[in-house]
Amino acid sequence: MHRLPTLLSGIFLVFLTSWIGLVAYSATQLGRLTPVADADSGATLPPHYSGQAIAGQRVYASEGCIACHTQQVRQTSVTSADIDRGWGLRPSVPRDYLRDSTAFLGNSRLGEDLANVGQRLPDAAWHFSHLYAPASVTEGSEMPSYRHLFLLTKIQGERSHDAVSLTGIYAPPAGYEVIPTADGRNLVAYLLSLKHDYPLPEADSVKKNQATSH
Amino acid sequence: MNLSSHSPCESAPDASENRAVDVSLRLPLLLLFGNAVHWLVIATLISLVLAIKKIAPDFPEILSGVSWFGYGRLAPIARDLFLYGWASQAALAAGIWIAARLAGRPLEGVIKNSVVVVAILLWNLAVLLGSLAILAGYSTGVEWLEYPNWASATLFASFLLIAFRAILLFDYRRSERVEVAQWYVVAGFCSFPWIYGTANLLLTWKPLQASAQGPIQAWFAGTFQLLWLFPIALAALYALLPRIRGIHLHRRNLATLGFWGVLFLGGWIGLARLIGGPVPAWMAAAGTVSSVFLLIPIFIISMNFLGSSEVESAEVIGDLSRGFLLNGLYALIGAGALGALASLPLVSGALQFTDASEATYQLWVFGAVSLPLFGVLYASIPELLGRDCWCVTLARRHFWITIVGFWLSVGFLVIGGLITGLALIDPVVTFRNVGSFAYPFHVLECLTQTLLFIASLILGGNLLQALAGNYLFPKR
Repeated sequence: MHRLPTLLSGIFLVFLTSWIGLVAYSATQLGRLTPVADADSGATLPPHYSGQAIAGQRVYASEGCIACHTQQVRQTSVTSADIDRGWGLRPSVPRDYLRDSTAFLGNSRLGEDLANVGQRLPDAAWHFSHLYAPASVTEGSEMPSYRHLFLLTKIQGERSHDAVSLTGIYAPPAGYEVIPTADGRNLVAYLLSLKHDYPLPEADSVKKNQATSH
Repeated sequence: MNLSSHSPCESAPDASENRAVDVSLRLPLLLLFGNAVHWLVIATLISLVLAIKKIAPDFPEILSGVSWFGYGRLAPIARDLFLYGWASQAALAAGIWIAARLAGRPLEGVIKNSVVVVAILLWNLAVLLGSLAILAGYSTGVEWLEYPNWASATLFASFLLIAFRAILLFDYRRSERVEVAQWYVVAGFCSFPWIYGTANLLLTWKPLQASAQGPIQAWFAGTFQLLWLFPIALAALYALLPRIRGIHLHRRNLATLGFWGVLFLGGWIGLARLIGGPVPAWMAAAGTVSSVFLLIPIFIISMNFLGSSEVESAEVIGDLSRGFLLNGLYALIGAGALGALASLPLVSGALQFTDASEATYQLWVFGAVSLPLFGVLYASIPELLGRDCWCVTLARRHFWITIVGFWLSVGFLVIGGLITGLALIDPVVTFRNVGSFAYPFHVLECLTQTLLFIASLILGGNLLQALAGNYLFPKR
């Protein structure tokens, strides 16, 4: 390896191994996974996101939720804790991410896993209260407030139907209410649609798990 | 410190040739190092704020609920400023200096110096504006690739312009003999465009279907550390350590095996992040296997340096340089050991996603990469300026605060990660309780981040006085 062309060829070949094995393999195999039809319901799985949820994905990215939250339920061969904690009914598989624009797998669990947050916490009102003042619904929560996804407005006539329910020290001043912005609504729509609760050919254990847990 | 004077090679360039090399490098390398250090100061400051935010989520009260001060927006900026602002620029500077000195040739030719200077300024502009864009909510949301497309494209192009000549230097060297460090520089400089281009193309510029993104994200994170930054740190070890310590490499013939071992395994090691994750089972297995096998090249590299007896150096700055390089080597051993341990499936089940993953990251990018880069910084700036320029007291303080802060930080992260990890795999412990176990370690993290911030401030101050001195007292 005394000449640049020889050295470069060697380096190129070695780099190529992981590039083919990981990048090219993923692009050509995992990148071409297709939705599957569910024999029971006739629906295609994984289900489509609503337009609002797709917009909410952008908010998830720009707020950097991935800094503290993962979106993956790990294989039971590695740990059963994710499922035991109620973070999902079955381990996540690549096809689950088919409808996402970015796979927010994450690498830190300062907060809980969100792969199935829509199935675990299906109440939009809870999410609005939680995003506005996390400690108001989860005592001692270490999550920061996302107040900038809300507006504090004067109540005009009747109280808005989508005003966030807040009590005690978190309540807005009298005559005011807290309304989610479009970003806030979209983010919650996205969170509510996060659920890998459907069966897939490579992950059919969901039904067995459901059967045993009910 | 003279990079060539102790070289066993007969046709080693003499002092005047070294001067010519340094003069040709002065402007671009001072720009790279200077900008790298100021980004380091900002990155460590933001990391300190983040550490405080972990124990007081709405700190500071007055900025609570302000979008651009959110944890999720600052966290990627701290990381990106560290990786692209500090580490990548310092690695570029270190790699170019080592390549040019070992080749014994001034940096000239195809690409003009002025073009390189413009490329460096563009790089820094992209880092600045890219970070502001993340702050304003324009993050791509892909880890370590958060910069918007225009910023990442600028980084990619700037890198090519800055690094190209240093790669060519390999064939343009004076001596027939090749040093291990020269391979590592070529490998590192070739890998950045390769991995940064691939990852951006497939994840942010023209994203693939998300089901394919997980392994590519992991590949990028692994290769960015192991194939881009780490080879330059190794070049620093191989180029400087034997000379400062006045030794020959122990079993140098094995260094070749170490080189190919690092390059080969470095491509696969990122998969350890996805053990148990939504990827084919063989990928997770490959993550474990590569993490464990990486211990072989790490063993070889350690043996090259630790196998021979050392000669004490009388020079203080040389001593500090050596201290940084050696601590980098110890961090490398620690990173390899912790990485291998954490990649065993059952251990991974507990440690993954906890502070222990953060500890491995710190051991790599701060320990194995940044510490040797500090060593090169201290050794090269006096040569570039042509005079002794460091304030020794400040340099000593920087060294000790960095070393103490770094090792304490790693220690706390490992212990904290272990405790939270064991709590996380026990579903009886509620998630809130897991958080309360982590709390004391997050308090300690504030302490270590304060130390690291103070250390980088001292380095920044020292570098400023070194450069100002050059202005006040022009070169000899």
